[in-house]
Amino acid sequence: MAPMERLDRLERVTDLLLVLLDAPQPLSLREIADRVPGYPDPSNHDALRQAFERDKRLLRDEGVPVESARIDGPDQVGYRIDPDRYFLPELELTLEEQAALNLAVAGVHGAEATGRSALSKLGALAARAGLDVGSGGEPVAPLVALPMVDELASLPVLHAALASSSMVGFVYRGEQRRVDPASLRFRRGRWYLLAHDRDRDEPRTFRVDRISGLPEVGPPGSSSLPPGFDPAGTLGTQPWRYAEGEELAVDVAVDALFAGSVVRDVGAEAVTERGADGSVTVRLAVTDLDALVSWVLGFLDHAEVLGPPRARGAVVARLEAAAAHLDHLADAARPAPRLATAAERSAAERPVAQR
Amino acid sequence: MSAPDGAAARLRRLLAVLTWLAQVGSAPIADVAARFDVDAPTLVAELELAACCGIPPYTPDQLLEIVVTDSTVTVRPGDQLSRPRRLAADEGFALATSARAVLEVPGTDPDGALARALAKLDRVLGAASVTVELDAPAALEPVRRAAADGSALDIEYHSAGTDRVSTRRIEPWRTFAADGHWYTDAYCHLTGGTRRFRVDRIHSATPAGPATQPVPDPPPGGFPADGAAFVPGPDSRTVALTIGRRALGVLEPVPLPEEPHVEDDVASVKVAVGGDAWLARLLLELGPDLVAVDPPDAAASAGAVVRGVLDRYGPERNDPRGP
Repeated sequence: MAPMERLDRLERVTDLLLVLLDAPQPLSLREIADRVPGYPDPSNHDALRQAFERDKRLLRDEGVPVESARIDGPDQVGYRIDPDRYFLPELELTLEEQAALNLAVAGVHGAEATGRSALSKLGALAARAGLDVGSGGEPVAPLVALPMVDELASLPVLHAALASSSMVGFVYRGEQRRVDPASLRFRRGRWYLLAHDRDRDEPRTFRVDRISGLPEVGPPGSSSLPPGFDPAGTLGTQPWRYAEGEELAVDVAVDALFAGSVVRDVGAEAVTERGADGSVTVRLAVTDLDALVSWVLGFLDHAEVLGPPRARGAVVARLEAAAAHLDHLADAARPAPRLATAAERSAAERPVAQR
Repeated sequence: MSAPDGAAARLRRLLAVLTWLAQVGSAPIADVAARFDVDAPTLVAELELAACCGIPPYTPDQLLEIVVTDSTVTVRPGDQLSRPRRLAADEGFALATSARAVLEVPGTDPDGALARALAKLDRVLGAASVTVELDAPAALEPVRRAAADGSALDIEYHSAGTDRVSTRRIEPWRTFAADGHWYTDAYCHLTGGTRRFRVDRIHSATPAGPATQPVPDPPPGGFPADGAAFVPGPDSRTVALTIGRRALGVLEPVPLPEEPHVEDDVASVKVAVGGDAWLARLLLELGPDLVAVDPPDAAASAGAVVRGVLDRYGPERNDPRGP
């Protein structure tokens, strides 16, 4: 350690933190050196400045809001910590609630480190979750894997924008978007931002992992959702409703094997028939026939489009085109691979899947 | 970035210790050391150092009030360094979202300590509208109970690879949610080894007495619970596909053993195939964007599955209810 630093640096930094928190006005570097023991003598200005800058960086890296402000006098810049920006208003978690949060952070894979540093700031961190609940301090195996802060840097930014009602700008599939955020939703393994798109004046759903770079956040209160905006309405489990156009009522029979999960997705009110073997028939309002055909074929022969003929014909056409194409590919003696021609594509009556 | 002398890490720990101690008042040193995963002499040295910190003129009334005895440490609440601090955006999000996710796990008490903690966090952090939806398949509850009790289950399981329903006895030892699905790792009596099952594909689960196999030791660093949910079975085979580049999106949900090789408009990918039905479903989705399949007989097997589906539509293949 340098001879100047006779004191443990931890002590100097802790004193600095306390002094800056206690300062009603920004303190100059000289005043700081005067109040906090362990700094190089102010006569050696460069060494003092260097030591202070190191400590300031350490505090800021730890999330301490050290503010700089212009002041009168030779130093020109002063420093302080605003207690209101540093401390949380009353939170008062009980020990039981703290233990529950520790278990939650340990049980979710994807944000352990960030969640633990949050608990540490709240004074609620236990080195091993479960220590307080008599599980013998056994480490908890992650229960739920959520892509979070570690993978999706946009998430906390969007979360903060939601909390402060700020509008948000970002690049999505190469296009600049300006939105009023309404909600963040995790569903089927992915995060979605439900928002009002300002330029299109429509509710839109964005996949957070498709947002390029970090979103830009407007000032607090800058977002405004249209009256009656329903974020839930912008994200459904029914991809055959995504397109806009004429609505077709399609009847689909589903075997018992998948009846439960299908009814959960489309709602019990869509069921028009229940078979004695556990199968169901559902009537779906379809605006995107291609999407419906893809969904039904996901069940292979456990589901069947009963009608109308146009919908049933679309399934049969897709199956026949696929069978012929696969037969063709199975013939290893065929010439070098080539891409499907436009004619073949239109014969298959299906654009490439929009995902 | 931590300083070479670790001052940042030590400050972080000191603040965490003081904030926690202020709530409990006084605690045995051994307990504090265990809670913060630090050895007792280091902890005592840092607490004694902190007891000398304060503001000018550094008279006793201006110092942090920390009393360290041989066995206990006592902290006066209300000191500047013992109050909860504001969270950075990522910290607040990670903490509140972890709580929301665990509250969504079926069986969590919706009015318990975690829910109360989350309500307090929302009040202080600003309640942003965040929803975590987890699937709740019917078999989840019996599977989790079997894992907790150490018991066996007789299940009917639908394999997506082969599209067959089989009956087997399993001994679950762990359940977790990843990529939007619940999984259980279990000893499988049918195959005589550990297998990973998707809980929503378990169509019935009947208790079958105590488990017979020991729970495997966790690997160093704990069990993986990430995107590695798909474990190729012993009878899976690798199939190479050549596809139009724009169809790569179709493969997004499929775990790939290696990165796709993209050249001009064509992408080459390898997929681990557990059965013809699974491959047929993927190839149906790719449609005319599928350019080649290697080995070619995989295309033939998938084609047979597709014809099987076509059979369901009958010889006329029109509306079975007539015109």
